[in-house]
Amino acid sequence: MIQLKDIVVKFGDFTALHNINVHVKEGEFFTFLGPSGCGKTTTLRTITGFIEPTSGTVMMKDKDITKVPIEKRNIGIVFQSYALFPTMTVYDNIAFGLKIKKLKKQEIDEKVREIARKVDLSDEQLAKAVSQLSGGQQQRVAIARALVTNPSVICLDEPLSNLDAKLRVQLRNELKNMQRDFGITSIYVTHDQEEALTLSDHIAVFNKGYIEQIGTPYEVYNNSATEFVCNFIGDINRLSDELIARLNREQNAGLDPVKHHYIRLERLRVNEVQTGDLFTDGVVESAEYYGLTIKYLIRTADQTFKVVEKNDGKRIYEIGETVRVSFRREDLMSYEPGDYKGDEV
Amino acid sequence: MKQRKGLDPSFLFKILGFLFFAYLFFGFMLVPCLNTLTSIFTTKNAAGETDPWVVIKFFFAGNMPSFVWNSLKLAILLVITVNVVGVSIVLLTEYFEIKGAKILRLGYMTTLIYSGVALVTGYMFLYANDGILTNYLVQINPGLNKAWFTGFNAVLFTMTFACTSNHMLFLRNAIRGIDYNTVEAARNMGAGPFKVLWKVVFPTLIPTMFSLTVMTFITGLCAMSAPTLLGYDSINPEIVRLAGSSTADESFPQARAALLSVILAIFTIVLLTVLSSYERKGHYLSVSKTKAKLQKQKINNPVANVLAHIYAYVLFIIYMTPVVMIVIFAFQTFDAVRMRKIDFKGWTLINFFGKQDYNYLTARGTYKNREGAISGLFSNETTLGGIKLSFILSVIAAAFACVIVVIACTYIFKNKKKGAILEYALLFPWLLPTILICYSFRTFFNSDAVWYVGNRNLYYEQSVRILIVMAYTVVKLPFSLRMIKASFYTIDEELEEAAKNLGSGPIRTFLKVKLPIILPTVLAVFALNFNSLFTEYDMSATFASTYGTSYAMVIQAMTYDEGAFGYNMNATGRRCASTVFIMLLSGLVLYLVYGVGARDLGERLEHRKKWKARLEKITGRQKKAKQESAG
Repeated sequence: MIQLKDIVVKFGDFTALHNINVHVKEGEFFTFLGPSGCGKTTTLRTITGFIEPTSGTVMMKDKDITKVPIEKRNIGIVFQSYALFPTMTVYDNIAFGLKIKKLKKQEIDEKVREIARKVDLSDEQLAKAVSQLSGGQQQRVAIARALVTNPSVICLDEPLSNLDAKLRVQLRNELKNMQRDFGITSIYVTHDQEEALTLSDHIAVFNKGYIEQIGTPYEVYNNSATEFVCNFIGDINRLSDELIARLNREQNAGLDPVKHHYIRLERLRVNEVQTGDLFTDGVVESAEYYGLTIKYLIRTADQTFKVVEKNDGKRIYEIGETVRVSFRREDLMSYEPGDYKGDEV
Repeated sequence: MKQRKGLDPSFLFKILGFLFFAYLFFGFMLVPCLNTLTSIFTTKNAAGETDPWVVIKFFFAGNMPSFVWNSLKLAILLVITVNVVGVSIVLLTEYFEIKGAKILRLGYMTTLIYSGVALVTGYMFLYANDGILTNYLVQINPGLNKAWFTGFNAVLFTMTFACTSNHMLFLRNAIRGIDYNTVEAARNMGAGPFKVLWKVVFPTLIPTMFSLTVMTFITGLCAMSAPTLLGYDSINPEIVRLAGSSTADESFPQARAALLSVILAIFTIVLLTVLSSYERKGHYLSVSKTKAKLQKQKINNPVANVLAHIYAYVLFIIYMTPVVMIVIFAFQTFDAVRMRKIDFKGWTLINFFGKQDYNYLTARGTYKNREGAISGLFSNETTLGGIKLSFILSVIAAAFACVIVVIACTYIFKNKKKGAILEYALLFPWLLPTILICYSFRTFFNSDAVWYVGNRNLYYEQSVRILIVMAYTVVKLPFSLRMIKASFYTIDEELEEAAKNLGSGPIRTFLKVKLPIILPTVLAVFALNFNSLFTEYDMSATFASTYGTSYAMVIQAMTYDEGAFGYNMNATGRRCASTVFIMLLSGLVLYLVYGVGARDLGERLEHRKKWKARLEKITGRQKKAKQESAG
């Protein structure tokens, strides 16, 4: 559907994107994830046509659209601020693009009302000013406006970032359902890894103008391709050099001492050593009770581990209690030092 | 997108735009003002030689420094009195709990709807030698000098109360922005209301106070209508006098006028530079995220409380008496106005519309009748002419300034670096006193040697109106730019991108998306520009041309004695009516700007809905009544 081939974008001396290659398939939900300034929005703007790449090609349905003007690309955009026209009613906002296409009045009316129904906006809301709607409703107007002209792709630039936490989770689900119902190819930009993991079919993780990894949420989380990715996505423990040395010495772990080794919080077990596990003893330093889970800080001789346990009726460990932390050898993610595509974080 | 070669329309626009702004800046700002500056040093002495120092030598030898000193004295004392009164009225209505604060506020705010000549003539109506209060005082004390309300004291008194508008606007906003939690915290720690005021509230007001002080100082320095009408020898009236004088009467009057206006400009530039560098340093902003609304403080000490109330109402009386008297007398008969005695049976609209014959006794002892000599505001040819001229010139200039600034702003926001140059060019008149600009226009264009206006003398006959429009426009550019530029900031860049993405071209995007967003501000700026230009006195007085007799100049002429034989008949009645007319007009403009214009689309839709419901209620009732009567 959309293919970026060797895209380079330079702003003066600064190279914002280094050889970006992405392939977004028809109907899928593709996310660009990364910290701010990593190039994800620049990539999106290259696709929508606001930025002309210094080199490389943007392909859409196997056609080169690198030089096609913005309005001819047939790509819908939902902006970070929604960019709803404040001086127009909701109806006029949605109808804006159709009016430019010089559709008949009746046709415009039908299309506007149809899309409004699909995104769950009432006739009464259509007559309102944008400022009279809540944040969630505004988002739906922005999506309706982007979809009403029947684009082949829709681009969403951090559309949830200026909402409060609760609404963000709620709208995230709505967004996913809508995308599934419309079946439209979607490109989504976010810096929120939780959003990326829950919404996407594929994620491209950006760092300093490079793509570190492209994969499914499962792959990106569990088999992070680079040290940056494993640090950026989710919380993680890095094994200290002392611990690695001790495990190699005492348990014959065979860990490469040159490499950096990481273990996810939920892959650590407390007082549940299974055969073949690597383990170390420690003292419970603190316990944060979340209801669904409990997060322990456990201090061992070499380092402090963060551990998350499911609150499934198991005994809650007291502070000061000595416990045994263990994990499977296969759950470690190991990287050569300096295994970044971008610079050191 | 790459630029196409050849005659691209946007390229043509750019060239035209550049030429226009260059013409405006050099032709109507820089060159005339520089000419004024150089004219000081190119004056010829008695022997006919060019002597660069002759004017300055003459300046110090004669009484010229006294004008500068008089202006400075006025400015310094005004800073004290205006701040005292201004801070008082804001505290009395916003900070302390005073009974009747709402009515007091309305009284203190009257200066927002009438100022300049209209206000000064209003005060004169009370205090001048034929004023109501003067007559009353003379009855009590026959030894009183009837001309007591002239000169420095009168100017200081009038301007003290006339110049508090800015306090009422800005200081009031500042005090309302105070986080009440900080006041509560101080009270909680044991501070009394006055201690809180001094230690907690006042420090947050310092930046605003500083700005107000500088603004007041400049107002005092550049005072025009009050010194002219009340007779005080400050800089501005002297410049106007010298500008109209000739070398036959005195030594190099023009060059001295130029020197005075340059001195004024130096003061203004220094003060404004200090002000803007201070403002750039940043202010003490409230750090808390949730602000609590200020609650009024009760004065616990009963004596202080009574004194505060007395003070508040004395100020209220000073503010309101001229307004009330003028409104009453605007609807009184010719005789009542002339005698300054209210006739509670004789209400009339003669001061606004219509004419009346005038019967009088001649020196020969016979009665004579002058047909229609007593005329109202809208039936007096001179007055109506002034109103018409001011209306037309102000509308043109107000609109012109807005259009120029909107075009400039679209460029400024597209080209940050070159835009900054344009911005400074348009802000340039802000640095200069209005009188310097007008005086420069008057002298520079009073010649047929200015090639870029087609070698036409613009100070000649009707052409002076072009000159006035240009002066109005140039003077209003900085204010218009500051306001309209701020509204451009509210246009989210993403809006433009969204429109582009939906297929909209640049012209459509401007008309349909950007213009509607800035339009309320542009209209507001237009209205405010019009409002101040319509009654302006300083500029048209500087031009002092029979072809450019503005409304304010007509009003000023009404303060002269009415001739016994029919000359300038009923001038006082028209003067009162004029002030009422101006107050209504300004009130309407302010209501439109801050009441109607400030509503966004949502509020407008709500409003429309409410009116519809009301209308339905009424028509529904009527239908019902009809049905009932039919049944």
